[in-house]
Amino acid sequence: MPSIIIVGGGVGGLTAALECRRLHPDQSVTLIDREREIGYYRTLLPMFMVRTLAEEKLFFWKPVGDAGLDVRLGVGVRSVDAAARRVVLQDGEALAYERLIIAPGGRPVVPPVFGKRSWPKGAFPVRSLEMARKVRDWIVGRKHIVVLGGGLVGSKTAVFMRQAGYDVSLVERQPHILPTVLSAQAAAPMQAHLVAMGIAVHVGATVDDYRTDADDALSEVHISTGRWIPCQAFLIGIGSQPETSLLADSGLLENGELVVSDTLRTSDPNIFALGDAVAVRRDGLHHPWTWPQAVVQGRYAGANVYRQAPVPIPRVTRVNAQNIAGTPIVVLGGAGAGTSVVSRRGESSGVWRELFLEGGRIAGGALVGDISGAGPLHALMVQGRDVSAEALDHLKTRTRAFAPAAWSRLAGDRLVKGGRTR
Amino acid sequence: MKVIAVHLDRCTGCRTCELYCATERGSDAKTLLAAVSETPVPQARLRVEGAAGVSMPVQCRHCLDAPCLDACLTGALRRNADGLVVVDDARCIGCWTCVMFCPYGVIFPWPERKLALKCDRCGFMEEPVCVDVCPTKALELVDPATADEVYRARRRDAVGLAAASGAVPVLLDLAK
Repeated sequence: MPSIIIVGGGVGGLTAALECRRLHPDQSVTLIDREREIGYYRTLLPMFMVRTLAEEKLFFWKPVGDAGLDVRLGVGVRSVDAAARRVVLQDGEALAYERLIIAPGGRPVVPPVFGKRSWPKGAFPVRSLEMARKVRDWIVGRKHIVVLGGGLVGSKTAVFMRQAGYDVSLVERQPHILPTVLSAQAAAPMQAHLVAMGIAVHVGATVDDYRTDADDALSEVHISTGRWIPCQAFLIGIGSQPETSLLADSGLLENGELVVSDTLRTSDPNIFALGDAVAVRRDGLHHPWTWPQAVVQGRYAGANVYRQAPVPIPRVTRVNAQNIAGTPIVVLGGAGAGTSVVSRRGESSGVWRELFLEGGRIAGGALVGDISGAGPLHALMVQGRDVSAEALDHLKTRTRAFAPAAWSRLAGDRLVKGGRTR
Repeated sequence: MKVIAVHLDRCTGCRTCELYCATERGSDAKTLLAAVSETPVPQARLRVEGAAGVSMPVQCRHCLDAPCLDACLTGALRRNADGLVVVDDARCIGCWTCVMFCPYGVIFPWPERKLALKCDRCGFMEEPVCVDVCPTKALELVDPATADEVYRARRRDAVGLAAASGAVPVLLDLAK
């Protein structure tokens, strides 16, 4: 009988599995995933699709000979029976567990345009390696690519595709790109940069219709601002939603959400959950769906399953860093958080550094073009320290003897003090 | 394994360590005069924090529970056999996620090379460059066991001073 069952082999589930094997070597672990390949860096898929990343650099783990770790790929989990302590696989097989870790991740959100008809060839929600392989092969010899979603993933994908020589259109529903992470002003120079690269950016628009050729492959999409644009590959990057369908009858969901404590325990003491499928409760609900969170949560879940007193994870921040077309961006929290804004910005350099404060504490912020000091700012945010007195100092560029040329541009720029109240 | 210790009373904030770290570890020429004119400008792997009067060089602490190791999206950051956290340049894509997760701010983005730079304690050299060049010997390579001995001696001194001044030691009564 398997002691520990782990549902989901993304980085969180896999880390949990390896941690379980390390800390509880006498317990066997069964890892189940519906994908056929696991152990890859999901965040590198856009680079992989345009072949700027070699396949061997895509993987951080390969199946190894560990008799105590049974990895079952290509099969999903149909349901969880918490009362009987067993999971039922899609093929009907039932597996009993002593401890269960649920890490099924998210499934891509798909636009309603494909809702009613069967999907045409050339439309891909990009989240899994299987899908990335299809895109990689499909775009060979084709030219026009439309990326739906101007968030971090969509923008990054558009940039890689453009750099690989494709004609790229980026379609974003909100009035500017990176809407959930940057304010309109901070996003403006980024958007201008993408346009300068030759990406056709369509904001305030969505795709509402499409045409196919004789082979049922996409040829054009219609955007809601009233234009048909050529489209031979349609890449969907409008986020993900928790994959909790397998838990519908488990009794583990709370208002449809899989809520865990900050020790990653569910309402059932034998069941832990983590990653993009969960909401973490710590002074409210958090959805820190990022790679670093999945890794940390995997480590803590693996360690906590047999602990008398499970240990809470160190932080629940949803922070992101990106290098989009040469411009570094750090996002400490969503735009719109907090009640006041403190910012330093360069009028001409495109450098933008701002903090959103809530009662003196850092509730979020963004550093664009100059990310020096990002780590300490993140640490101050996690600590919940009152920084109201020195917030502006924290936003200063942290120079070194040899400063990167791009960052010294801020020195001569106008200093914007105080900021506005939201 | 030895660690880089700082004598706070000796650091003058002159940034010589930064200059020579960038020159020796970041430039092609390896001389300061030539390094300043290189493109891209060489980058140091440590930073002198603080202002006049209170300054100290800060470099990677090689944390036992290192947040950067959990944050790395590409497997470029790893802990080597000596226990040092190092960057595999060939795998680093310059996404700066580790930069954001280092609470000490000692992983430095090098945008021109799309590389995250951090102190590797000059592991393959006899002595770290910063330790070697410090004009006031504020930086020293010490064995942590020796450092503990220094702390112990200082505690002894403090207790001795307190006793000599007639101060009564305050003990915490945990039962209360």
